[in-house]
Amino acid sequence: MTFARPKTVYSGKIKEMKLGTGPKAVTVGGETSYPFYLFEGEMPHLPRIAMEIFDSPPAEWAPAALEPFEGVTDDPVAWAKKCINDYKAEMICLQLVGTDPNGLNKGAEETAQLVKKVADAIDVPLIVWGTANHEKDTEVLRRVAEVCDGKRLILGPVEEGDHKKIGASAIGYKHTVAASTPIDINLAKQLNILLGNLGVSDDSLIIDPTVSAIGYGIEYAYSVMERIRMAALTQQDAKLQFPIICNLAKEVWKTKEAKAGTEDPRMGDPKKRGILLEAMTAMCMLLAGGDVLVMRHPDAIKLVREMIADLTAKQ
Amino acid sequence: MVVLIAESLNIMSKTLGPALRERQAKPIQEMAKAEDEAGADYIDLNIGPARKAGDELLTWVVKTVREVTQKPLSLDTTNPVAMEAGLKVYTGGRPLINSVSLQPDRLAAGLPLVKKYNAYMVGLLWGQEGMPRDAAERGMLVAELLYKANEAGIPNEDIWVDPIVTPVCVEINQVKSCLEFMSMLSEIAPGCKTTVGLSNISNGTPAHLRTYLNRCYMIMLMRHGLYSAIVDIFDKELFKIAKGQNQKLVDIVYQLMDGKSPDLSGLNEEDLKVAKSVKVLTGDALYSHSWLES
Repeated sequence: MTFARPKTVYSGKIKEMKLGTGPKAVTVGGETSYPFYLFEGEMPHLPRIAMEIFDSPPAEWAPAALEPFEGVTDDPVAWAKKCINDYKAEMICLQLVGTDPNGLNKGAEETAQLVKKVADAIDVPLIVWGTANHEKDTEVLRRVAEVCDGKRLILGPVEEGDHKKIGASAIGYKHTVAASTPIDINLAKQLNILLGNLGVSDDSLIIDPTVSAIGYGIEYAYSVMERIRMAALTQQDAKLQFPIICNLAKEVWKTKEAKAGTEDPRMGDPKKRGILLEAMTAMCMLLAGGDVLVMRHPDAIKLVREMIADLTAKQ
Repeated sequence: MVVLIAESLNIMSKTLGPALRERQAKPIQEMAKAEDEAGADYIDLNIGPARKAGDELLTWVVKTVREVTQKPLSLDTTNPVAMEAGLKVYTGGRPLINSVSLQPDRLAAGLPLVKKYNAYMVGLLWGQEGMPRDAAERGMLVAELLYKANEAGIPNEDIWVDPIVTPVCVEINQVKSCLEFMSMLSEIAPGCKTTVGLSNISNGTPAHLRTYLNRCYMIMLMRHGLYSAIVDIFDKELFKIAKGQNQKLVDIVYQLMDGKSPDLSGLNEEDLKVAKSVKVLTGDALYSHSWLES
């Protein structure tokens, strides 16, 4: 008897989605099998990495993470350009940490103008991420959506509590929404249904399942993403057949392991440590079905790009 | 026909909880009467763990309820002293002890009471390590339970096995294993009866939609011979289903469980929602709060 390798039967496909506009727009999704199961299906578009920048100078970054961006972290436009020109970023993610009501509490208008400046200065797709404060995000992201009409931004996090208003603005000004739920597949599906009912079209929704860093409960995020893909691909669950975004850099770099210096020799080289934690976290997310990864350190990104190339190399 | 145990006399209730604690007979009796009139076969008296003076409480509740209804009662507490006190003053058709689970101390305290008072017992499949994880673990627990109960002189026919229903929005695999176990039970445990805490299937789902999951899951369990269920007795449509008065819907749900595509056009709106719930309870579609819309 010859051995017949068991094969997963897939009945669904992840929706293909164009992010951004113009010649540098990227397309994600389209998978017909589990991540990198190229012996069972297709991954027509490779996962993309968005490089993260902040709207205000980062206060608590590890030296290792700051070093590659020396001299530009007080200027988001220069920072974004450096990511694109020096580190070949295919996408940018602008984190609006400065709008946090418990922090700098920057206003909606000021922030929207800043986002516009960044969007005008770059040609790659731009992700704009709020602080998950419903009231503030509603105010800020609605204004951002309006001021950046036609830029096809990706706006997040859009949660159940603020999905109506931000969702409506995204529809009106033709942006994509990142539908964000707290590591729960049923709630993820529910929010996608709600956004669909609101009128967000299927080509303008990406799932943010909420992720965490390696060592900080990544297995929960992994498992939810895995199940989202199983439902989407093997159970024809149309409401989960969307690409997935993983906003992981801030989770990795806020851990004490990524921030610690050389006090404890058992912890190894602080520079390599953060980079490896970020790269490993990113790899886990890719294997669970991530389509867009938000990352910080160019060396970590390089490692992950190499892994993607290896895993998808033609034999 | 499913034997229905009315669930509303419960210490967790916002109105009846205080009435129980303060020994106000009137609201308790009104509820018992209402449950009786709604068609309850048994009336559950759930006083919870009742750690303090549970014996006095259950004695009082049993007597109080007996003044207004002659329906058999299901005595629902984990406190064995309270249970025995309730059984002592109990009169009427055979009582139901709710419940005896598989922790050694519960078995040691519960089984002798079942025998001594000639009661039925709910055999709750909750083991030493807690909740069984799948159908096979339920099978192991039921085998152990029957062995211990038979040894204590209790025949299978007096045991109402409760396989433990868990919410659909928490873990679908448990919902599936519970069904799977029900389909195996008559072979593992011939003669045993069954019961479930039905409303638990819809715990955590939108309040106005819970009934559709309850009705649907009951039908799915009926497919595998469900003997009784602890239910919201005031759900009239659920009552009709349990008592064989909505065979059309039952047949359609059975067909949907078999993966067939029966004609749904003859169903009224209420029953259509029940039929639409099959997919999320079989796990063919992932549950979300908007399952009826998608």
